[in-house]
Amino acid sequence: MKKKVIVIGLDGLEPTIVESLLQHGELPNLSRIRQHGHYGRIKTTYPAQTPVAWSSFATGTNPGAHGIFDFIRRDPETYQPDLALSQFLPPKNAFSPPRVVSRRKGVALWKVLAQAGVPSTVLRFPCAFPPDVGCGRILAGVGVPDLRGGQGTGAFYTQDPTITAQEHEQLVHLAKADDIKTHVIGPRNTSVKPFTDLTTEIRVRVDRAASKLIIETGGTPAKIEVAEKAWGPWVRLKFKLSMLQSIPGMVRFYVCQLAPLIQFYASPVNFDPASPLYPISAPAEYARELADKVGLFSTLGMAEDHTAYNNGRFDEQAYQAQCDSVFEEREKMMLFELDRFREGFFFVLFDTPDRVQHMFWRLRDRQHPGYNPDLAQRCEEPIEKMYRRCDKMLASVVNRLDENTLVIVLSDHGFNSFRRSFDTNTWLWQQGLLALKNDKKPAEDLTNPAESIDWSKTHAYAVGLGGIYLNLRGREQAGIVHEGAEADRVRKAIEEGLREIVDSERQRPAIQSVSRRESIYSGAFVSESPDLLVNFQEGYRVSWQSAVGGFSDTLLSDNTRFWSGDHIIDPEAVPGVLFMNHPVRRENAAITDMAPTILHYLGVPADPAMEGESLI
Amino acid sequence: MRICILGLDCAAPEVVFGDERLVNIRRLMDSGVYGRLESVVPPITVPAWMCMTTSQDPGSLGVYGFRNRSDYSYEKLGFANSNSIKAFAMWDQLALEGKKSIIMGVPPNFPPRRINGISIGCFLTPDPVRDEFTHPTSIKSKITELVGEYPVDVKNFRTDRKDWLRDEIFRMSRKQWEIVHWLMREQEWDYFHYVDIGLDRVHHGFWNYFDKQHVQYEAGSPYESVIPEYYLWLDEQIGRVMESLDEETILLLVSDHGAKRLDGGFAVNQWLIQEGLLVLNQYPKEVTPFNKLDVDWSKTRVWSEGGYYARVFFNVQGREPQGTISPADYERFRDEMKARFEGLADDKGRPLDSLVFKPNEIYRSLRNVAPDLIVHFGGLSWRSIGTVGYPELHVQENDTGPDACNHAQFGMFVLAAPNSPLSGVYEGARLLDIAPTLLDLGGYEIPDSMQGRSLVAGMEKKQTDGMNDAGSEKIIHDRLAGLGYV
Repeated sequence: MKKKVIVIGLDGLEPTIVESLLQHGELPNLSRIRQHGHYGRIKTTYPAQTPVAWSSFATGTNPGAHGIFDFIRRDPETYQPDLALSQFLPPKNAFSPPRVVSRRKGVALWKVLAQAGVPSTVLRFPCAFPPDVGCGRILAGVGVPDLRGGQGTGAFYTQDPTITAQEHEQLVHLAKADDIKTHVIGPRNTSVKPFTDLTTEIRVRVDRAASKLIIETGGTPAKIEVAEKAWGPWVRLKFKLSMLQSIPGMVRFYVCQLAPLIQFYASPVNFDPASPLYPISAPAEYARELADKVGLFSTLGMAEDHTAYNNGRFDEQAYQAQCDSVFEEREKMMLFELDRFREGFFFVLFDTPDRVQHMFWRLRDRQHPGYNPDLAQRCEEPIEKMYRRCDKMLASVVNRLDENTLVIVLSDHGFNSFRRSFDTNTWLWQQGLLALKNDKKPAEDLTNPAESIDWSKTHAYAVGLGGIYLNLRGREQAGIVHEGAEADRVRKAIEEGLREIVDSERQRPAIQSVSRRESIYSGAFVSESPDLLVNFQEGYRVSWQSAVGGFSDTLLSDNTRFWSGDHIIDPEAVPGVLFMNHPVRRENAAITDMAPTILHYLGVPADPAMEGESLI
Repeated sequence: MRICILGLDCAAPEVVFGDERLVNIRRLMDSGVYGRLESVVPPITVPAWMCMTTSQDPGSLGVYGFRNRSDYSYEKLGFANSNSIKAFAMWDQLALEGKKSIIMGVPPNFPPRRINGISIGCFLTPDPVRDEFTHPTSIKSKITELVGEYPVDVKNFRTDRKDWLRDEIFRMSRKQWEIVHWLMREQEWDYFHYVDIGLDRVHHGFWNYFDKQHVQYEAGSPYESVIPEYYLWLDEQIGRVMESLDEETILLLVSDHGAKRLDGGFAVNQWLIQEGLLVLNQYPKEVTPFNKLDVDWSKTRVWSEGGYYARVFFNVQGREPQGTISPADYERFRDEMKARFEGLADDKGRPLDSLVFKPNEIYRSLRNVAPDLIVHFGGLSWRSIGTVGYPELHVQENDTGPDACNHAQFGMFVLAAPNSPLSGVYEGARLLDIAPTLLDLGGYEIPDSMQGRSLVAGMEKKQTDGMNDAGSEKIIHDRLAGLGYV
């Protein structure tokens, strides 16, 4: 019998919740796995983020050796924030498209397996866009953009002319009629200056008697009917770039209301798995094969549409319905692959638990500024419901257990409340470590923060979800801090200052510790990481504004967004969970131990760069 | 400027320009100029590719098809090989200017031309395992190291074993393209020219499953998608090449001729016998190839070679050993024959609409032994069958094996160059215009021997000053949209 390893990733599953549900017998399948082997907490990465931790899972190394330190990086030439997962390169010639390469370095375990002739199937792996070629079947997950190149920009359609666009969305005002011609907004056309949007026309009619919207799409299906408060099916569309070229994509509609005014929503336009703009799978045609076999599925990395929910474009029920269908899509592809899985390595990631916890944590935390008892009652423990759902899904995995199969269920990090936000840049400004031009004061409306900062007087700045960079001479474009004693003084000032931060409103310290990169990272890519990492206390996180290099009006403020749970705090406080149907040799498992464990079980020597050790 | 030519043997403009799934080709069309490309008469792989690279017509090259009369005897036919064509080609011009070329599978290229660079044999290579088919010879072992045994063609592609044929064609083409990508990446070149012969073989083998107008078309055949799949696969390969080229390269996709359905074959020698123009001592009892017939040359006035088109020869006094036509009567007789060919009907009695050419009228000069007439039966909807002994003149089976497709007069081209002033559809381009156009865009001398014209002659070339990246900041900013954490 050939050996098999099945890994089910449940993004963001929090140990305290898992343990409590286990105790109450509510996770029978996870219980069974534990009875066969092991349950414990698993150490995550610095910082505790999906792309960072899963990259460490894949490579068995700390982030310093795989180069993924955060969702967000900054360009030291321009100080501008950018997505850190993939790199878009300009076209090499007049007739080729821009290229995209993954920024994740190091050797993933599927590469080690491929070299040993062991096959892999990896579904929805974060930070694998575009995926490694020649290592089996890989479908990329978190990091795959929508057709506009972002992580998800939907469109809200309304007949109310007073409504204006919110963050990360397109707004389309509709004519006041029951038969309307409008359009779906597709990718940007960057071949013309200034850029324009490519659109495709749709016709929308209201059937008031049946309370539904009839949408003629010009795509496939050509006509759909979507009931009020319901999601329609995936519609494949084409956006005409020229007489000759069109860009395929797919979209789902949600009908928010039909009266008194018509309002509906179009999801971010996803890549069509049959013909994605960039490779989302390896081999390239694998995504098409999957879609042929299991039906269309979200290809966008962050498939759950938290932005529209956060913006109030649809309600809890709509968000949960969408989470459910993403989960179902994932389950279908998992079952399809498990049915033909005979040997080697299988991996699938369910991201939905992470997205549900981000949005609904406020319903389980009475101390959260967004706590809403009525809603909490109506939603009936959406987080626990999701955990039970995950467990139910595992039945088909547990049923496959045999003596030649290693089953691993794990999360990449835990979860916690995000009650209060801390603005690192505002604090740096208060400390005199960061200067603004023209005597400006930190404020949210500094539209391009990098241009508002006086770099000639700035010693340090924050970009990303906890990172602080020194404005180093020779590295940053307008760096002033000399490496050595001067840089060390700045580091020390930041470390000491931040450790003393107390949230006077809540009478609690906000920050657990500050890590220097040398103390947490090693490897070839350490020089690309932030110089310092802020490890927040439970309940705190870096502010929305600081994350993209900007400023808040106040140092500490309530987080009133629906995005109310988070995990980017002190990594020691948000370990993940690890279930295996095999006893472990030792406790204190770390996510870097997983690749060596899997390789060991399959009888393949680990890559010498791997830092972890097999648990079995 | 570097020149990269991806030759797609037999690529049909209606397929290349009509299938929107060919996304890479579409992108290239959008960034360049494209259109139908009129081939030479005859529109045949040999000599068409060399007509393109030398910009000389078949008469001037002295090659009228794969097989050519070596002299005015009745028997001697020679197969064209690379030594048959010594005319000055684009790579010779580049060599004069000190540049290196790679030519791969550009027919005829056996024995491999000894060019300044790398030369790899074409489908005419008799045995790629035993023969030296590369120049320099060391390249052969590198090829074998990369892909194992290197196939130059699918032997016996006229077959009813369609599964085998499809798999063999793909197997060959995968290996060839692997070498294409390797050569492009690893070797030095200023001129790269590859000819994919797999496409031609796919057309001949599967056109009847693809073309709904074909007499043998059957709906729902499992082979219906073989041709589109091959084009899709080619599009992928082309996409890979497009991504690998630098900013200073001209890229041309081009075919030597198009493809069209075969309605049948016309037994030309059998017809000549019926007409009393070709006289046999004994009429065969079974279907017999022309060279096995017992011809009474003293009474014969006309005979023909078969193939996709007819090469018709006259038995002329003082030219052929037993000539019957007096030289004084030659032109009158030729006009008469031309009219009789043009008057032929199809199997249902409708005009066959054949095209009949006098070589001296269509070629700038005539070298070697030219046919007296060249006939495209039914404008190439009908093949020329040289074999004799059929019950009818119009036959469905082909004397050289199952073949569903003939060549069409119009092939296709897509030309993209950073400095090209042309865009959109181009009407009226001819095969012989390709070489002068490429040399012109590339900044090379156009030799006087070239007969075509540069499509960009007298036009101002575009400046190639890199990409405009205005607005990229907005794009970077938008990459974080919807991340949730921000």
